[in-house]
Amino acid sequence: MRNSHLRKFAPALLALSALLPAATRADELSDLKEALKALEQKILVLERKQEIRDEAATAAAPTTAKVTVNDKGYTLASADAANSLRIRGLVQLDHRWFFEDDGSIQNNSFVLRRARIIVEGALGKQFTYQIVPEFGGANPAIVDANFTWTLSPELGFKFGRFKSPVGLELLQSDSWTFFNERSVVSLLVPNRDLGIVAQGDVLGGKLNYSAGIVGGVADGANTTNSDFDNEKEVVGRVFATPFKDNAGSPVQGLGFGIAGTYGRAKGTNGRTAGYRTDGQQAIFSYLASTITDGPNWRITPQLDYRYGSFGLLGEYVVSTVNVRPSTTGKLSELQNKAWQISAGYVLTGENSSYNGVVPANDFSLSKGTWGAFEVAARYANLKIDNSAFPLFANPVTNISESNGIGVGLNWYLSKAVRFTFDYYQTEFERFATATPTTNPILKSDEKTFISRFQIAF
Amino acid sequence: MKSKFLLLAGLGLSLAAGLHAKSIELLNVSYDPTRELYVEYNKAFAAHWKAKTGDDVTIKQSHGGSGKQARSVIDGLPADVVTLALAADVDALFENARLIPKDWQKRLADNSAPYTSTIVFLVRKGNPKGIKDWDDLVKPGVGVVTPNPKTSGGARWNYLAAWEFAKRKLGSDDAAKDFVAKLFKNVPVLDSGARGSTTTFVQRGIGDVAISWENEAFLALKEFGADKFEIVVPSLSILAEPTVTVVDKVVKKKGTAEVAKEYLDYLYSDEGQEIAARNFYRPRNQAIAAKYPDNFAKLQLFTIDEAFGGWAKAQKTHFADGGTFDQIYAK
Repeated sequence: MRNSHLRKFAPALLALSALLPAATRADELSDLKEALKALEQKILVLERKQEIRDEAATAAAPTTAKVTVNDKGYTLASADAANSLRIRGLVQLDHRWFFEDDGSIQNNSFVLRRARIIVEGALGKQFTYQIVPEFGGANPAIVDANFTWTLSPELGFKFGRFKSPVGLELLQSDSWTFFNERSVVSLLVPNRDLGIVAQGDVLGGKLNYSAGIVGGVADGANTTNSDFDNEKEVVGRVFATPFKDNAGSPVQGLGFGIAGTYGRAKGTNGRTAGYRTDGQQAIFSYLASTITDGPNWRITPQLDYRYGSFGLLGEYVVSTVNVRPSTTGKLSELQNKAWQISAGYVLTGENSSYNGVVPANDFSLSKGTWGAFEVAARYANLKIDNSAFPLFANPVTNISESNGIGVGLNWYLSKAVRFTFDYYQTEFERFATATPTTNPILKSDEKTFISRFQIAF
Repeated sequence: MKSKFLLLAGLGLSLAAGLHAKSIELLNVSYDPTRELYVEYNKAFAAHWKAKTGDDVTIKQSHGGSGKQARSVIDGLPADVVTLALAADVDALFENARLIPKDWQKRLADNSAPYTSTIVFLVRKGNPKGIKDWDDLVKPGVGVVTPNPKTSGGARWNYLAAWEFAKRKLGSDDAAKDFVAKLFKNVPVLDSGARGSTTTFVQRGIGDVAISWENEAFLALKEFGADKFEIVVPSLSILAEPTVTVVDKVVKKKGTAEVAKEYLDYLYSDEGQEIAARNFYRPRNQAIAAKYPDNFAKLQLFTIDEAFGGWAKAQKTHFADGGTFDQIYAK
C-alpha cells in the first residue's frame, strides 16, 4: 500500500524526467519522490481518520438517541427505543353555517373546535404515558393525563384520566371519524373519566378487552379531576375481530363487540347536562331539580366493518338512570336510547380505516395529485324515555326524539391534513303536548353545514 | 470386589459433581493491548478453577482505551473485574460511582499491579528517520503515532514519559510543555487506544515512529515480522503499572465475588506470571522475569510517584479538563 501511490504516478514521473536537463534530473526526481511520499502519508492519514470516525459512530450508535420528525409527530427516542418522548398536535378550525334560522338562534361562526398538544412517550419497555392539554375551549384544560403499565400484550393497566372504554365512535380518534361531529350515540356514553382499567388483546389479537373501575360520569360528560360523589362505576368492553388474519377475505375487516357500565350516582352531577344536535345546539336537558339517586347502567353493542374503500360503523346504546324530581320526590328509572349507522367510501381507492385514511399521494399542485377523497353518510336517532316528561323534563322546550341524517365529503390532503364538509339535517319530535314549543331550536329542523380544517400529527 | 466398589463410588461421585457443576461467567473490562495476554490467561484460569472447584468459568473480554473503558463501567457496563492501564482510571470507579472501595489498591500485592510495562519506540525496519531518543520525535518531518491521552491509558504513560525526559534534559516544566507540544504537532492521527495506534502505524503505514507499550512493540515484531519493524529503546522511560481490581458492586449483585477474586489472585501465581512474561509484560516475580531476558528492553526507568507525585496529581495537572494536554492540543 505504501508504494501503491508511487507506482501509480511512476509513468508520469518518468515522462516528466525525460523533459528535464540531465544535471538537475536526479535532484528533481528525488524531490518529487519525497513530495509524493508526503502526499501518500497525508492520504493514509485522512483514510485512517475516517476509519476512526466510522468506528466511533458505530460504537456510539447503540447509545445515540434518535430524533424523528414526520407526520406522526416529533419523536425523541433512546437508541434501544425503550424510552421516548413524542409530541403531536391537533388543530381543528370549524365553520358552522345554519340554514333557515334567520340568524336568530345560532351564529354562523368560526369555532376553534380543538387545539391540543399531545405529549406521549415510553419509560422503559413497560410504561407509556400521555398528557394532552386542550386550548380550544373557553378555558385551557387537561383532556387526558394517564399512564399505562403493559405487562404483556394480553394484560396492561391504565391509570389516570382517559376516555372510558365504552362508545365505539367516541373511542375513535377525534381526527378520523367519518363526520366532523360524532353522532348522538356518543352523547349517551361516558367521555373522559378517572380510574383504573385493565386491558389487553387475547386470542392472537382477535379479542380486545377492557375492564375497570372509574369514578363514573353522566352521559356524554367529562370528569373534572376528582369524583363528584362517593359512588363508583365499573366499565367493561370486549371487541372481537375474529377474521383479522384471513387476508383477502371480505370479512377480514369485520369487528363487533359490546360494552357497558354499571354504577351508582347521587346528585345533580349524575345526570346528563343535556343532549345537543350535530350543530351543538341544546335540545334536551333535565329540570334543574332533577337528581340522580341510585344505580345507573349502560349497554352498547357496536360494529365496525371495513372492506377495501368501504367502511361501516354502527352502534346502539341504552342508558338507564334512576332519578328523583327533587330530593324527596319519588324515584323513577329512565331509559334513553340512541343508535347510528354510518358509512364511508374512499373515492380515490385507498382503504377505509377506523384510524384514518392514508392517501396514496399527498396533495401537490406541481405533481397534479389531489390526496384522497371520501364520501360519508349517516343516520342517527335519539329517543328520550317518555317517563321523563313532564316530571323530569319540560315537554315544551325539549325533544322526545330526534332523527338526523348527515352526508359528507372528506378530503385528505395528506395523512396529517384533512378538510371535511358535512351537511346535517335533524328533525325533532316532542312529547305529546298541545303547547307549541318556546325553544326556537325546535321550531324547525336543524340544517347545518359544518366545514372543518384540520391538522393532526 | 472392594476395588470394584471403590471404582463405582468414584465414578458416581464424579458424575454427581459433574451434574452439580456450576457455570459461571465473568466480564473482564481491560485496556486496549491486552487481548493476547488474556486469551492465554483466561484459558489457564478456567482450567485452574475447574480443577479447584469443579465449576466451569467463562471469561468475556472487553478491550478499549483505558479511560473509555473506565467510563463504560461507570455508565453501567457490568464488569466483574477491571484490568486497566493505570490506577487513575480504576480510581474513577470509586470517584464517580462508588463501585469499589476507596482503598481498593491495597487489596492486592504490589499496589494491585501484578505486572508492569514501559514505553518504547517502534520504527520501520532500517529506522529511516534515525530515531534514537525522545528528542528525535520533535524534529520537523517526523510522523509520530500515539493515542489520545483523553481516552487511552497508554497515551498518558507516553505523554508523561516524554514530559519527564524533556524536564530532565531541558530543566523546567515550561520547557517540557513546549517539548510535548512540538511532539503532538507531529502526531497526524489520534486513535482512542493503544491497539488502534498499532493498527495506524503497522497496518495503515502511517508515521515514522509509534510510541508504544513495550508489549505492543514486541507483539508487532512477532506478528508482522522483525524484517518490517524494529524497536528503539529510549534513554529514559516510565515504569507503567497497569492495575486490576474486583468491581465490588457488580460481583455482589451477580454472586461472582469468589471467582472474581481468585481470577485476579491467579495473576500473581507462577502460571499467571509466566503467561504475563510470555506476552511481554514484566512479571513482578523476578525469578520468572529472569527466564525471559529477551522479552524486555533494558533502560532507565522512573516511576510516576518519583516524577509526578502520583497519579492523582498527574491526572489533575495534565489530563483533566484544562490540563496541560488541553492547553497544548488546543493551540
